[in-house]
Amino acid sequence: MVWRRFRSNRPALWSLRLLVVLLGIAFFADFLANEKPLYCKIEGKRYFPVLADYGQALGWTNPDPQFLNVDWKDLEYERVWWAPVAYSASTIDVYNAPFKGPFDRQVVAEDRFWHWLGTDDLGRDVAAGMLAGTRMAMLVGVVAMSVACFFGIILGLLAGYYGDSRLRWTRVRLLANGVALVAAWFYGFAARSYALAESEWPPGELGKSILLGLVLLVVANVGASQLERFPLLARKRALPVDLLVMRAIEVLESVPGLLFLLAILAVIEKPGILDVMVIIGFLSWTSVARFVRAELLRIRTLPYIEAAQVMGFSEWRIIWRHALPNALGPILVVVAFGVAGAILAEASLSFLGLGLSIDQVSWGSMINKAREDFSAWWLALLPGLAIFATVTIFNLIGDGLAQAMDAKLNQ
Amino acid sequence: MLWYFGRRLLLFVPTLLIISLVAFGLSRLAPGDPIQCGTQDLLEHGLGANSYESARTRYREEARRKGLDKPPFYLAIRPAAYPDTLYRILERYQRQTLRKLIDQYGNWPQIQAYAQRLEDWERQLYQLPRERSRDAQIRLERDLRLLKLSYRQERVESYFVKMQALIEADSLLREDLGPAWQALREAYTQILDEATPERLLQPALHWYGTDNQYHFWLFNFLRGDFGYSCRNGQAVADRLGGALWWTLIMSLPAILLSYLIAVPIGIRAATRRDSWFDRISTLILFLLYSLPSFWVATLLIVFVTTAEYGAWLDLFPTSGVGELPDEAPFWARLGERAHHLILPVFCMTYASLSFISRQMRTGVLYVLGQDFIRTAHAKGLPPRRVVWRHVFRNALFPLITLVALILPGVISGSVIVELIFNIPGMGRETISAIQARDWPVVYTILMLSAILTLLGNLLADLLYTLADPRVSYD
Repeated sequence: MVWRRFRSNRPALWSLRLLVVLLGIAFFADFLANEKPLYCKIEGKRYFPVLADYGQALGWTNPDPQFLNVDWKDLEYERVWWAPVAYSASTIDVYNAPFKGPFDRQVVAEDRFWHWLGTDDLGRDVAAGMLAGTRMAMLVGVVAMSVACFFGIILGLLAGYYGDSRLRWTRVRLLANGVALVAAWFYGFAARSYALAESEWPPGELGKSILLGLVLLVVANVGASQLERFPLLARKRALPVDLLVMRAIEVLESVPGLLFLLAILAVIEKPGILDVMVIIGFLSWTSVARFVRAELLRIRTLPYIEAAQVMGFSEWRIIWRHALPNALGPILVVVAFGVAGAILAEASLSFLGLGLSIDQVSWGSMINKAREDFSAWWLALLPGLAIFATVTIFNLIGDGLAQAMDAKLNQ
Repeated sequence: MLWYFGRRLLLFVPTLLIISLVAFGLSRLAPGDPIQCGTQDLLEHGLGANSYESARTRYREEARRKGLDKPPFYLAIRPAAYPDTLYRILERYQRQTLRKLIDQYGNWPQIQAYAQRLEDWERQLYQLPRERSRDAQIRLERDLRLLKLSYRQERVESYFVKMQALIEADSLLREDLGPAWQALREAYTQILDEATPERLLQPALHWYGTDNQYHFWLFNFLRGDFGYSCRNGQAVADRLGGALWWTLIMSLPAILLSYLIAVPIGIRAATRRDSWFDRISTLILFLLYSLPSFWVATLLIVFVTTAEYGAWLDLFPTSGVGELPDEAPFWARLGERAHHLILPVFCMTYASLSFISRQMRTGVLYVLGQDFIRTAHAKGLPPRRVVWRHVFRNALFPLITLVALILPGVISGSVIVELIFNIPGMGRETISAIQARDWPVVYTILMLSAILTLLGNLLADLLYTLADPRVSYD
């Protein structure tokens, strides 16, 4: 139903198709722009150098020693398939630096090496950079929105479903959980700070700390259920989940996003692109949470939820199996707009020169290069066009989804 | 009603407290030595004992001046192995090294003795006359600097071995530094031998009272004393005052213009729904909405501020706000300023313009569907009157919420637009403060913009009741 309405919205449908193309580009960026051949045959042996890179990145294979210090374009091939763009995003072509436009005189050995979209200050190919930028943008969207959805859905669900008065815990359980949280922080993090900071493999130690915390929480709850036999301890108190979540949202939303982002990034010694993505996600969970909360407030009063409650299903099961699936559709709208926002945020940051290492390229960092040399119109125009198109695509999809869903709600 | 707003104001308190805590926590986590912010390396010193001592005194005084010699917070919960007085070690990196040692061995008395021996030995090293065995001394000083930052056993011991070799090789050095060196090594062995890691598992709470950094900063802030920028010692209030002036000069015309253009467009598009005007304006506004302003600003700078693409495109100055001498006639100065501000104001206008008129259109469309509009038409009111008297007033709601969004924007400015056009406003000030880790300025901006956002929300609620008497919060 929703899909049929969505499909009848032409701009939205075309945006979705374009999005698939963009995702394809992002996924196969290494195969579209690479200085290494996709496939080659040298002295009777076949190689897949681009695929081999993936193997090495994952630690499955070791680099082939005979290719360690070779210039791929100088090798003698029996057969070879090149990528459509003859450069990787980080390849530096010193002969065509700085700032050679598509129509300028370029020093190239073959037509294959022509920089169709020009080069930047270091002589890196803009076409390859655009493809790598696509990957970066899609990655930002996916990672940031995954983080945002993780926090947003959980907190929004709790706030919307329980409100301020429906989550009632016994005194002893509240107390036990409070103590357990403090203990989990102390024994998991404060007392283990050396192990966490100095270990060979920090995620492992972090995992141990979290596991310890979970064990403490389980112990506290088991203990609490034992102690609930005493009437004095078993008196119930309502936990104002909604109030707490809404306060948290208010705090995060009261500082302008970019400002907050910059202040948090200042804390990290050398912020990488992954840090940027996660922080963007962490700052944008609020919109997801608001939306989920509003949906849950509506769904909570629907008869089928009451029916499920009457049938004695556990709260857990009602929330996850009955309430959440109904709220998931509208979340897609927030996610679509959120991705647009995240891409814009990352582009602004890399425009400011934050978050990227020197050999990484994104659309924002390319635009920034245009400010160094005003004659480089291709750097000013093309990456911005890509950002603009991508953001428009996501906004159109969001609009289309919102309209399609609204229609459903109105019926 | 009053009660409602009173309660809302009360709810600000926890929110603002949390934000101040977050800002404070961020400043504690940020890398770099806050005492040395804005100064040259204070611990760098020349030859001789006097210079060494005076460098340390200077450092202590700077810390006191910035209020950084106090404990950071009201209380601390941490393993019992920690002393209460760790904050008195002012040098951040030294403090971190000691922390790491405590985290490994849990015996502060021994670690303190080791730190003391290290300092004594350092003093002795710098007191030696330089001429005697210059080469060995310089190498010892370099190794000592690294030893002071080492906490892993293998690293500490590798420096011990290296330095021992240097001392042994020189008979004069051996004579002067030998005994203290032995004491230092013994102190380290003692840390290893008498380790009490079980003390790390024992929580301890220490109460420092109100004479702490956070309290100092928060109460000064409440009194309106925002402190001093650590970059040039200027008062934060003065610094931000100047920046705010420029931001206001840019954002007020931008806000005014965008409302003046957006509201009629929104109303016209909605009242003539599906006409060519509606379709085209909706499309254009939608595209404007997705245009990143930093891209538009870059394009404008690249294409219309220089003669790069033809002399006729050299229309505007590239950056800055235009400085004419004070004796220039007022109108000339005004014209120069305006000429510089056209492009940035344009960039700020188009972004909010598209947003406002989209909201306006939706709002008007909603109102047009209501019964009382049909009634108004039916009783024969002229269409203009219906639109402006009945529709407009009821479509004000979306505009009101936008007011709440605009207030904090005035403070934080349009960060990127100001940066690109090099306008000394709040946005550029924010970025440079964050990048220089000038926390007194960053705190103030974060807090002020949070306060304004909250006030903006409250103001929106108040305006709602004015626009629609039916809304009440009782």
